[in-house]
Amino acid sequence: MAGFITFLFLARTGIRENKVLWLLIAAFALFPIFTHFANLPFWNDVAMRIMLLGIAAMGLNLVLGYGGMVSFGHAAFVGIGAYCVGISQFYGLTNGWLHILFSLGVCGSLGLMIGYLALRTSGIYFIMITLAFAQMLFFFFVSLEQFGGDDGMSIDRAEFAVIDLYEPLRLYFLIWAALASISLGLMFIIRSRFGVTLRAIKSNESRIEAMGLEPLNFKIISYVISAVICGISGALFASWQEYVSPDIMHWTRSGELMIIIILGGLGTLAGPLLGAIVFLLLEEFLPLMLGEIAPTYAENWMILFGPLLIMVVLFGRGGLLGLTTQYLAREKSHKTEEG
Amino acid sequence: MTLTLFLEQMFNGLQAGVTLFLVAAGLTLILGIMDFVFLAHGAQVMIGAYAAAAITAATGNFYIGVALAIPVTFASGYFLEYLIIRHLYQRDHMDQVLATFGLILFFNEAIRIGFGPAALFSNLPPSLSGFVEILPDTPYPTFRLGVIAIGLICALAIHIFVSRTRIGAVVRAGANNPEMTAALGINIKILFRLIFATGACLAGVAGMMLGPLTAVQPGMGEPLLILSLVVIIIGGIGSVRGAFIAAIIVGLVDTLGRIFLPSLLRLFFEQATADGAGPALASMLVYILMAVVLIFRPTGLFPAKA
Repeated sequence: MAGFITFLFLARTGIRENKVLWLLIAAFALFPIFTHFANLPFWNDVAMRIMLLGIAAMGLNLVLGYGGMVSFGHAAFVGIGAYCVGISQFYGLTNGWLHILFSLGVCGSLGLMIGYLALRTSGIYFIMITLAFAQMLFFFFVSLEQFGGDDGMSIDRAEFAVIDLYEPLRLYFLIWAALASISLGLMFIIRSRFGVTLRAIKSNESRIEAMGLEPLNFKIISYVISAVICGISGALFASWQEYVSPDIMHWTRSGELMIIIILGGLGTLAGPLLGAIVFLLLEEFLPLMLGEIAPTYAENWMILFGPLLIMVVLFGRGGLLGLTTQYLAREKSHKTEEG
Repeated sequence: MTLTLFLEQMFNGLQAGVTLFLVAAGLTLILGIMDFVFLAHGAQVMIGAYAAAAITAATGNFYIGVALAIPVTFASGYFLEYLIIRHLYQRDHMDQVLATFGLILFFNEAIRIGFGPAALFSNLPPSLSGFVEILPDTPYPTFRLGVIAIGLICALAIHIFVSRTRIGAVVRAGANNPEMTAALGINIKILFRLIFATGACLAGVAGMMLGPLTAVQPGMGEPLLILSLVVIIIGGIGSVRGAFIAAIIVGLVDTLGRIFLPSLLRLFFEQATADGAGPALASMLVYILMAVVLIFRPTGLFPAKA
């Protein structure tokens, strides 16, 4: 009972402190109503992709934003999560809950292994090593011919007991539930003693060591948690796409996850989700925009996206969330000065 | 027969190794001296390959194509540093990763628009497309032999330049302590820009040599970039000597692994298992090698900084 009351209390303060995040999650819950009446069923699909990418980016954000570890290989965990579904289906296992459990176990232990090895290094070395491990897994799946190799494998949507994912919107709300519960979970992690220590390690590692804590343990645990979250995103992604291929763990996908976090706001709870929205909207609208100006080059929208990314890095510190909070803070200080 | 095959593959591995070194040499200085994560180095390979292929196609002469493409790659590196890279030195690694990732997207798309998404194939001049007998009854393509020779000459030139000349001493000092080097009156900004342009140029040369061997296509430099990162980690960031040794090791391990590992596994496992696991294991081999090196020597085999 006391636990439940604490939970409610924490949830309330969490909602108060992370308004943007919970507003977005509520918006995603209501979004299908909008698409139903506006007759835009395609956008449900986009919203699902946004949520899936958002979950993966949230996972990466735990190590990248809060822990300050620039991991350049997190797409590998998304891919492993997806392949866990694909491979279990290949061997006749169709229960979705088991798939997710399987993904959790595999991603968790791989995260532990890679984290243990890679976190012995730091700086540039860490970036390169996480990238190299991801490449290793990428090539592993490319050369596994029995699971489709380069071409990937088609799969069915997983079976979640009473929930039939082929019924309309079931998958949508499954993904939504995952997003909401992972957001809540991450909020608790970040507010906990563990989360505070993790952020302290980011700002001053030797000081934490001097206080008698072992920074490596905290880093490894956060790495495992983030790997597991990416794995869940991948497992659901497999059901959404009904298809798994090594492309999902290509190193550019890891780059995309980082872009999403930077676009939204590094080290914030709502940032990754906001970034995923912006990223996918850009992906939808940049080709249309380019098609208006130069119809033959609509496919080459990356030529606009690349420089845009450089601009964001050069001029837009703190991402969208940072910009809005700065703006709000300025407004507020103006008001207090006037008052 | 097996000896012939083995020798041939040794040479192929050596050729892959020296090509890899040309990419890794510039990158290790950029990473080591400037502490800059430059992912678009693979794009420089692509620019070199396309410049050579385009000029060769226009002039009809392979040698003129290569000779003119070298200054093009140098200039591309120089201006890239001037326009964008120099604004990013003071940023953290994450920003550098993202900005150079943006550069990759831009360059790949620009090439796709300029030259089309299909691969270009450049023909070799007759003087280079023949075979040389490296041993009796063991013919080996002249061009690949030429690649090995040019790679080794470049490696020797870089070694002499870095360890025997005044500018090389400045470069080494810069790798050790950039602030102190700047305090001694060295213009570190120009030094950085020249190292950057030279690195781009070397990567471009690697691209020119790869062009006739593989397909010239958008994104062609990326696998090479990732492999050269592995090389740099094994060799130790900032160490040119380490990069050379590691490049040869990685080139040999990768090439020989792909050829011989499946048949080696067949000795110990059933045919089906070996055929399934062989290629998978072979493509992971260099990454496994890197992980092993890191476990025993976290800063690589020949770390530049003590």
